[in-house]
Amino acid sequence: MTDQRDIPDERDVAAEYALGVLSGDELREARKRAASDAEFALAVARWRGRLAPLGAEVEPVAPPQSVWMKIERAIPERPGEASNVIALRRRVSLWRGATAGMTALAATLAGVLVLQPRAEPPVVQQPAGTPMVAMLSDEQKRMKVMASWNPGSRQLVLAVASDMPADPSHAHELWVIPAGGKPRSLGTMGSAKQMHMRLADAIATLMENGATVAISVEPPGGSPTGAPTGPVIAAGALTKA
Amino acid sequence: MDCCVVTGAPPAWAHFRFSLGSGMGAWMNRAATELRGNDELAAVMGSVAGGDRGAFRILYQRTSAKLYGICLRLLGSEAEAQEVLQDAFVTVWRSAAQFDPAKASAITWLSVVARNKAIDRLRQRRPAGEDIDAAAEVPDDSPLATAVIEQEDDARRLAHCLEQLEDRSRAMIRAAFFDGASYPELAEREGVPLGTMKSWIRRGLLRLRGCLEQ
Repeated sequence: MTDQRDIPDERDVAAEYALGVLSGDELREARKRAASDAEFALAVARWRGRLAPLGAEVEPVAPPQSVWMKIERAIPERPGEASNVIALRRRVSLWRGATAGMTALAATLAGVLVLQPRAEPPVVQQPAGTPMVAMLSDEQKRMKVMASWNPGSRQLVLAVASDMPADPSHAHELWVIPAGGKPRSLGTMGSAKQMHMRLADAIATLMENGATVAISVEPPGGSPTGAPTGPVIAAGALTKA
Repeated sequence: MDCCVVTGAPPAWAHFRFSLGSGMGAWMNRAATELRGNDELAAVMGSVAGGDRGAFRILYQRTSAKLYGICLRLLGSEAEAQEVLQDAFVTVWRSAAQFDPAKASAITWLSVVARNKAIDRLRQRRPAGEDIDAAAEVPDDSPLATAVIEQEDDARRLAHCLEQLEDRSRAMIRAAFFDGASYPELAEREGVPLGTMKSWIRRGLLRLRGCLEQ
């Protein structure tokens, strides 16, 4: 009979969680991790997808009519109404996880932020607002870009995740969208993993709490119309750092 | 054109879905061309995401038997399976916008939602020894929001890779999947130490991953 010695050191907790074999403390920890660690959540989701085809072996059984009637009574008028807040909260927690997981990226960014004032003469005449950050993530909630805004120096620093999709036949254009307003272009992005740009006064005033920073796919050189024309590949709200 | 006009506080997101049709980048294009087979159900899901209750009814009619089968198999109780099915469809109504046809077939996505709910229910009702709040304390993570789901032919690949496993690993992984049994339950059922059971399944999952990622 085998014993503890045979448990391999290596294990795939995401797989165990997706399969559903964890219980007690291990289950609790996996759940917390799935809610806070974007990378882990993705691994779990991937495993769920991998295992899902097994479900085809299960015989369908028609549920009684009463179930549908209960569902109909239970759903809100429109699907988005009740879920936006939850989805947003979830996104925030995933961001936190992603942020934690991107320590190297954050460290680079911190380095830039520390170094930046030295490269720039101190700007005294500018009223120093609150620094803000935006975590731009894609539709799958994977963080793609971390944007950090320093109103004092009007510097926007971008740290780009390594898995940012690249496509030479298109440009990535950066936008700021004030709450309730129209998108304003901040320019197209190069292929560097780290960028800083200094924003003009008129644009800088749009960098407020609650504004959205987004990246769209555009023809080379940027949107011909001044408004986004292609799909948004990452977006996130500006919040106080 | 105005894919980024944000009208309210959070809905920057909502526009992703609707921006897919226009001027796609190659990245999204590639994802979209992977869409095949389940187009129709996926289209129904799209309407559901837009708040179409008629579409939701159609979705229920087409998929509820499959999902109920899964719940019933896992929970063994009709009453509980019906509650979980109800809960699953309410979740589907609320989060249909998270479904991405480029990433999963609709039926796969729905099955995962139902199975997660059923497993949560199973873990909640576990009494002895295990803390009940383990299940209650943390809400389930989003069903499949970030899933990168395999496409249809991956069913064959999964079957092939399961075949490569040791018999007992395969049997236990299947038992865990279909019955929702936890490590302690499987160990007890098989009459082996907990460590042995963990070893069988962990080894099986690692091998499975190796095979699937080839």
